Amino acid sequence: MENMIGIRNLTKRYGKKRGVEDVSFEVQKGEIFGFIGPNGAGKSTTIRSMLGFIRFDSGSISILGMDAVKDHEKILEKVGYMPSEALFYPGMKVSEVIRYAADVRGKDCGQEAAKLCERLEVDTSKKIRELSLGNRKKVSIVCAMQHRPELFIFDEPTGGLDPLVQNTFFELIKEYVKEGATCLLSTHILPEVRKHCDRAAIMREGHLIKTDTVENLIRSTAKSVKVTVDGRTEEYMYNGDLNDLIGELSKRHLENLSITDPSLEDMFMHFYEGGKEKS
Amino acid sequence: MTAIIKQEMKLNLKSMLIWALTVGGLGFICILMYTSMEGEVMEMADSFSEMGAFSDAFGMSTLSIASIAGFFATEVGTVHGLGSVMFAAFFACSMLSKEEDGHTGEFLFSLPVSRGKVITGKGITILVCLILFTLICGVFYVLGFVFLKEEIPAAELARFLGSMLLMNIETASLSYLVSATSSKTRMGLSLGISLVLYIYDILGRVVPSMKDYLFIGPFSYANASEIFAKIDAPRYSFPVAACIILLAAAATYFTYTRKDLAS
Repeated sequence: MENMIGIRNLTKRYGKKRGVEDVSFEVQKGEIFGFIGPNGAGKSTTIRSMLGFIRFDSGSISILGMDAVKDHEKILEKVGYMPSEALFYPGMKVSEVIRYAADVRGKDCGQEAAKLCERLEVDTSKKIRELSLGNRKKVSIVCAMQHRPELFIFDEPTGGLDPLVQNTFFELIKEYVKEGATCLLSTHILPEVRKHCDRAAIMREGHLIKTDTVENLIRSTAKSVKVTVDGRTEEYMYNGDLNDLIGELSKRHLENLSITDPSLEDMFMHFYEGGKEKS
Repeated sequence: MTAIIKQEMKLNLKSMLIWALTVGGLGFICILMYTSMEGEVMEMADSFSEMGAFSDAFGMSTLSIASIAGFFATEVGTVHGLGSVMFAAFFACSMLSKEEDGHTGEFLFSLPVSRGKVITGKGITILVCLILFTLICGVFYVLGFVFLKEEIPAAELARFLGSMLLMNIETASLSYLVSATSSKTRMGLSLGISLVLYIYDILGRVVPSMKDYLFIGPFSYANASEIFAKIDAPRYSFPVAACIILLAAAATYFTYTRKDLAS
């Protein structure tokens, strides 16, 4: 499989503060890749390093087979980015912002922009300052998609969007991906990852702690164990031989026992809290 | 880059016009005041020219304030000099940093354009706006002379406006560098630099030991009284101005292409 994004040992520090440390992962052509983690985990730092907004300290980033530092401008021609904060020049009309983004790209994106505005119900005659967060996000989606990029990078894209628009947004992504595009979706909304992503990487405190298919992340060998003994309920992840677990538990007077596959939320919370799997 | 220039022109045209109409309009009113003050100015001219170093500092020893050229150089020279330099500093100091202040940087820099091109595009916008500003003010001044039915000192006026434009480019280049650093105090810093340069020139003309170093500041070659008295600018003032502009531009590129953009 062709790698659309290849990050090797990425490290970025903000003075003494942590940014990201030794992050490595790949995103393959045609996949929707979830990039998950709580706020401050280092997702945005990784994305900002990829797009050249910040200079990273060490490591390498390759996007669409090109070096993210040397070929920065060429890469951006083929990337559609939607930042978490959809902020534009307040005095401009929506139509002017969309046309400006196309003009800087030196492309006539009128047809695609019109299609996207219709699907997302964007009022192009309004001024940016008149728009709500949700409507600004819609403008941001149009700007990211109108040039039909090979790679989409979305940073917390659905915040502020109503469920109907969220639905249209993911429909659009899937349509473009079907036509050969690739998508990196940074989010902390886990149902989005479970529903739409093929693979995902989990970030915590600047480190990448797990990369796998969403299916494997959920069907991990770890089990979610919930046991009630003497009125007290314990909950933990268990990663070992189930017979040993049963043997251990049988020594206690159990009031209730539940051993299930963990949900993505459980997995995420487990990694987020830095909990260790019992084995 | 053309798209960036067009966009910036669109965003800044109104502000530039307000500044040009204000400074040019004030200059026009000053010129019109000449006839109403002609009698009093005659009396003032002699005493003004005998104030020693202060007469030198404000150019009243080189040119009589009683003549239209002298009156223009003294009054409009000060209004335009200070007004235009404030405009240049104010305009340039937010040109780059506004993208981070308004959180529009992520939108702009996610488009396929290098930071170098953004610096160049915005720099060209500043240059074009300064030229337009100077031309609009120039039209007001010419109209002032026409209104008073006075002969237009075309050569001196052209040299005055050209020198002022160069001075504005020089101060704008320093403010542009301030803008690239995105310091929170950039507005104060930019206006402060311009005022310091103005005061440096005044002091240089009052304090004899500083006279030889006047050429360092941009007000040295843009002194209206000397221009209308057909006195050449200090010898090294233009090369120094060119060096300052080039160094400031280089430092702007160096700083802005290496900095982390604020989110």
